[in-house]
Amino acid sequence: MNNFLQRVIIEPFERFFEMALQFLPDFFSAILIFAFGIVLGLILKAVFLRLFRTIKLDKFSERSGVIELLRKGGIKDSVSVLLAKVIGWITIVIFAVISMRELEIPTVERLFESFLLYLPNVFVAALILLFGYLLGNFFGRAALIASVNAGIKISGLIGRFVKFTVFILSGTMALEQLGIARGTIIISFAIIFGGIVLALAIAFGLGGRDIAKEYLEKKVKGEEKKDEINHL
Amino acid sequence: MPWKRIINNFIITMNSAIQREEIQKKLNDIKKTDILVGIPSYNNARTIGHVVKAVQAGFAKYFPDKKCVLVNSDGGSTDGTAETVQNAGIESYQTILINHRTTPSFKITTPYHGIPGKGSAFRTIFEIASALDAKVCAVVDSDLRSITPEWIELLIKPVVEGGFDYVAPLYHRHKYDGTITNSIIYPLTRALYGKRIRQPIGGDFGFSGKLARFYLTKDVWETDVARYGIDIWMTTTAMANKFKICQAFLGAKIHDAKDPGADLSAMLHQVVGATFELMDTYFDAWKNIEGSEPEPTYGFQYAVGLEPVNVNLDRMLDRFRLGVKELMGIWKEFLSEGIRVFLCEIDSLPRENFHIPDEVWVEIIYSFAVAAHKKIINKEHLLKSLTPLYIGKTASFVIETLESSASDVEEKIDRLCVCFEKEKRFLVTNWN
Repeated sequence: MNNFLQRVIIEPFERFFEMALQFLPDFFSAILIFAFGIVLGLILKAVFLRLFRTIKLDKFSERSGVIELLRKGGIKDSVSVLLAKVIGWITIVIFAVISMRELEIPTVERLFESFLLYLPNVFVAALILLFGYLLGNFFGRAALIASVNAGIKISGLIGRFVKFTVFILSGTMALEQLGIARGTIIISFAIIFGGIVLALAIAFGLGGRDIAKEYLEKKVKGEEKKDEINHL
Repeated sequence: MPWKRIINNFIITMNSAIQREEIQKKLNDIKKTDILVGIPSYNNARTIGHVVKAVQAGFAKYFPDKKCVLVNSDGGSTDGTAETVQNAGIESYQTILINHRTTPSFKITTPYHGIPGKGSAFRTIFEIASALDAKVCAVVDSDLRSITPEWIELLIKPVVEGGFDYVAPLYHRHKYDGTITNSIIYPLTRALYGKRIRQPIGGDFGFSGKLARFYLTKDVWETDVARYGIDIWMTTTAMANKFKICQAFLGAKIHDAKDPGADLSAMLHQVVGATFELMDTYFDAWKNIEGSEPEPTYGFQYAVGLEPVNVNLDRMLDRFRLGVKELMGIWKEFLSEGIRVFLCEIDSLPRENFHIPDEVWVEIIYSFAVAAHKKIINKEHLLKSLTPLYIGKTASFVIETLESSASDVEEKIDRLCVCFEKEKRFLVTNWN
């Protein structure tokens, strides 16, 4: 009877107790690492917030249009606050991962490993989108001003076309970076882009025949009265 | 970074046109000079021969006992400009002068290095002036058709005999000639620096050797100063650094079109951009100046007949309206609501009622200057977006002065200048 009790109840309890004894130091050190991560995250957040404000990052982001982008996305924080928060959270997440590894649970380890390996892709994709947005705005505005100064009536359309082409291009690159349906996206992009160009070519060919004729006549025959103003 | 600047300057000096063997040889032959006249050129074979002859006649007629050098700084012309300069000369001085010169004059033709543009050409001229220790210098455009030997006297003598450091030109021009000067550059520089220099970007200037050497100390040769910005930079640098300035009346300015290939927005960007850049550099020099005063003017003033200038008003108004329709999104970042509402209202007015008042124009220019200073948007975008507004103001000016005489037009420009001076508080208040 004693043997039976020993084998069925006491031994499992002892094994559990031993395992618990083995696990507890890892658990406490994991909690400690996580707590340290939280404190460090908060400190880094405060330090970077101050740094970003010193270098006047908000002014730059206002000029470059990032603020506008964030507001459109429903984010009311300034870029300094947002970036400081992101840095704080990244620190906390990194320490959370380290603390989880400390527990040595294989499933959790594998999960975090794949998550960690994928994280740089997300970061690079976000960067591509951000640069795409900034470049799209920049080139769109440059195209708009240049076509207005050239007297092209459809300047607005040209500006928007350039802007959205850069957006779409950066979106495609970001999705490719994330590994989402690579082949499909590239083919779709090529079809859409090729389609737009073909549509424009047909539109110009059919709809713009008279305008082209008129333009060429003016150029060749010199019907338009020229300015002789010397501006300087 | 000072070390970066030193390395940059070293590279530029090593690349400098005066390092070329044949130029060094010529400089060693000439050694020193009293007077140096520079002519920047780029494909001006059609007109430069006349300019060279006028300069040489000026040397012979007005400075027969001085050592004189003519420098042609060329931007790689392909139409035979350099050959024209070499071959141009006065065959017999007796056909134009009673007493011909006794001291021979020299001629140097060299391609310049650096960014293609008038400023880089001037830089080579300054370097040669400095190497030859020139006492007095002048520069004249190569596309001039109305230059006479008297121009050389008028640009040089105030420095030689009057002790001036900088001689700005004063011309009679057609009322629609030099519209960037009349509507932006002259009123703005007059209000900023308090000096009435009527043609701050005239292109033909006289200056002392001391000022030429001072120009060379400035690190601006990789900016818009190397292009069309050079004229305003020379004038402003002289004004802001308290060099002694005067004007010389040269008569009519008749010249070929500036550069048929150059587009207006690029010109506006370079000239206005350089002016705004100088506002940053010389803030302390202009912030407390109120009003303006006339500068001494040399030369006998007389009326001249000028060639008519064709203007396509409908096209100008179309460009303005297109700008108002499409660029308001950019302007809203720095133009006040009042101005934006005004622009939208005027946009729908018929041609005969189209009018941009001076007060509105002044606020527009000051707002652009402040936006450039505060870097609200990319500077090139900002300045190029000014083009439709400038065209609108020019159209308004043309409509208002269709029947006006030259003196009426001059009075109108003067009223605009006074408006710039009165509203300067707006600029200073919004600057920081």
